[in-house]
Amino acid sequence: MSMKDFTYRLGEFWADFRKETSGLIGLGILALCVVVVLAEPLFLPYSDVNGNWRNISYWEDNPQAAPPAWTNLFAKEKSATTSRYKSPVVTDEDDPEFGAVRVYTFKYGYKFDKAPLDIILRAKGTGMLFMNISIERPDGESVFLGQVYQDGLDGDPIRFAVETDARSAVYEFIRNFASDEAISNSDSSNVKPTDIIFSKAGENMLSAREPLKGEYLVRIKIPASILEDGTNTIEDLRLLVTGRVSGVLGTDTAKRDLYSGIIAGLKWALFIGLVTSVISVLVGVMYGIICAYFGGLTDTLMSFVFEVFVSMPMLPILIVLSAIFKPSIWIIIGSMIVFYWVGPVKTVRSMALQIKEETYIEAAKALGSGKWRIIFKHMAPLLLPYSFANMALSVPGAIVAESSLSLLGLGDPSIITWGQILHDAQLSGATLNGLWWWIVPPGLFIALMGMTFAFLGFAMDKILHPKLRTR
Amino acid sequence: MYKWYALKRILRGVFMYALLMFLFSLLFNQVNEQTQRSQINEQVKMESSRLRNLKPDQLVAWRDNRMSQLTTMYKLDRPLGERVLFRAVNTITFKFGRSTIIKSSKGEQDVLSILMEALPRTMMLFSSAIVLELVFGVWLGLKKAQKPGGRLDKSTSFVTMIIYGMPSWWLGMMLILLFVYVLKLFPSGGVNSVPTPEGFMFVLDRLWHMILPIMTLVFLGFWSLAFVIRNLVLGILQEDYIMSARARGVPENKVLFGHTLRTAAPPIVTMALLSLLASLSGAIIFEGIFSWPGLGNLYWVAVQQNDIPVLMGDLAITTGIYQAGLVFLDLIYGFLDPRIKVGGKA
Repeated sequence: MSMKDFTYRLGEFWADFRKETSGLIGLGILALCVVVVLAEPLFLPYSDVNGNWRNISYWEDNPQAAPPAWTNLFAKEKSATTSRYKSPVVTDEDDPEFGAVRVYTFKYGYKFDKAPLDIILRAKGTGMLFMNISIERPDGESVFLGQVYQDGLDGDPIRFAVETDARSAVYEFIRNFASDEAISNSDSSNVKPTDIIFSKAGENMLSAREPLKGEYLVRIKIPASILEDGTNTIEDLRLLVTGRVSGVLGTDTAKRDLYSGIIAGLKWALFIGLVTSVISVLVGVMYGIICAYFGGLTDTLMSFVFEVFVSMPMLPILIVLSAIFKPSIWIIIGSMIVFYWVGPVKTVRSMALQIKEETYIEAAKALGSGKWRIIFKHMAPLLLPYSFANMALSVPGAIVAESSLSLLGLGDPSIITWGQILHDAQLSGATLNGLWWWIVPPGLFIALMGMTFAFLGFAMDKILHPKLRTR
Repeated sequence: MYKWYALKRILRGVFMYALLMFLFSLLFNQVNEQTQRSQINEQVKMESSRLRNLKPDQLVAWRDNRMSQLTTMYKLDRPLGERVLFRAVNTITFKFGRSTIIKSSKGEQDVLSILMEALPRTMMLFSSAIVLELVFGVWLGLKKAQKPGGRLDKSTSFVTMIIYGMPSWWLGMMLILLFVYVLKLFPSGGVNSVPTPEGFMFVLDRLWHMILPIMTLVFLGFWSLAFVIRNLVLGILQEDYIMSARARGVPENKVLFGHTLRTAAPPIVTMALLSLLASLSGAIIFEGIFSWPGLGNLYWVAVQQNDIPVLMGDLAITTGIYQAGLVFLDLIYGFLDPRIKVGGKA
């Protein structure tokens, strides 16, 4: 069979395939997935997710276990979203306490019903730095948050988080309003500083909070005398207001952005599925052809080996193998191939037995072609199209198998897969705590991959096995 | 003759099982021996702490002696081939040894009794799921084949494709989320409530715990079964004798369930059981989600506790069940296919 024949048959196949709506849907989703994988940086809000999935400090500014941002659309009480501010307004003022100061001001418009989880200030400093941080509320009250003093800095990052660093300062603010009784009645460890900052001041601001909407000013005061000295500088001052809802798919309890994880997991799912199925189906088809063509003792021996592999339950063995040898993803893929190649062997062998008896094979033999030439030139091209449907249909199995291993915690920790996300969810009891955004999307994407390849595979199957066509 | 056919098939199954056990014992030889050695160390340490009235050098001598005695007993001093064979024979004869951490509910550390405790629970769950799946699958498959390309056929085939790659354990998680935490209808897992009720209530309680896992399994399983059955039956429905039966005025249901199903029975049973065997091996994860303390859940626990003997024993038993399933399948096939029963060529 020449190249021309092949392209002709491919064209014929495409003409048939175009009529299958579900096959086209599958092809469309697959194309979309490939585009997402190729242009991954465009889709990732956290571009360094690939090396940092298990790096806790990379995610420390995110809210913990926050639902997706779009849940606000359905909620009666709107939750604060995450917002970032980069360039503060710089003014020089006179301060009663510190004298001449340079003030960096961030403006934050608060228009939600549920306060943000945290306010985080980040900067890079050199030399010696002193900062006085406070927040001015729309009602004219000013909340002192804390002071940062650091020496011997050399471009080191400075981080000030209200949730951890300003707790006691905020309680001081409560004391101005709430009665002693209310304070002693409330459990202070349960009160979030941000809840206090963003609610109306009053007697019962601890028990019944009402949101105070409006413009908030975060002011960072640095005494001018410090900055006059050229060795002390502050750069890259940023403010981050951590929302109660976050991103497209929310965050998990380790503050990781789940949407980034899902997108980064897509390429691995595709890779694992495609590599495993393509290699194993090719091996299986060749195995079947060789069995049938050589016959005799070779056939008997090879069929026996085939039977040994068929009678092994794949997943249990994979689990025990990975539990004991802690393999990398490459070895996991390799061992999946070891179990998956048996899929097409039986059908291919019986089909090859028929083809072997055709007259053109006899003619080829009479013309003096070698056995490998006959196998590769005359038999394989006839049987390979059959294997395409098989390849597509065995992709979901491979993806699910890897996810199952990962779900047990036996995956390769150097990559991100959807199974691993589900493992973390299972481990932290996401079902128990109702963190549905942590469980639904990864599994939905596994199912979506399965659906895509099922669409493709069933459509191809229908074309290649006309007997199943619906009349 | 069917008798000989059956005997031959069973023997081949036993041989295959033995061969697989040998392969496993070769593959996992190193880790097995490590576990064995540390278990011997543990045992000697425990025994020596009970000894009294021994001088230190006597104690050391006793310890060395006991150690080498145990090493000989477990054949750890023999060449590799013999060690592997010894372990394989032990596995085949169900001598799995003692677990390192996991205990059965009675507190035994014998791996076999731990496994035997879990086995019936797995069997109970999956056999009931299998029966339901078969009933729904055969019914839907026949209905689909009756009007290929019809609305029912198309819509159900579409559903089959949508759930084709859906992991059963994920669907389990979803159903738990929905039925346990939102609707609060079923328990989240386990085989029985605590405290366990007695008598008739025990049965009801057990059923109540089984509904959710079985629902998950059946919901995912019977679509693809119906699809396979549809394809098999579709070919048969075009045969001449079906047409003649219809022409004779045989009722449609009798044509479907009598004529067609009888001819299609052998491949249907094969396909059905094969897909169910595949789902059984995938069910390892599934049981963990529902904390159903069967063989699959034991894998979870053994992996987490790093209990190698239990892991190995579980693998052996699972392989055994799988093998038995394959043999059973061929036996049923032979029974249903008259060509094999009378000794003709299949």
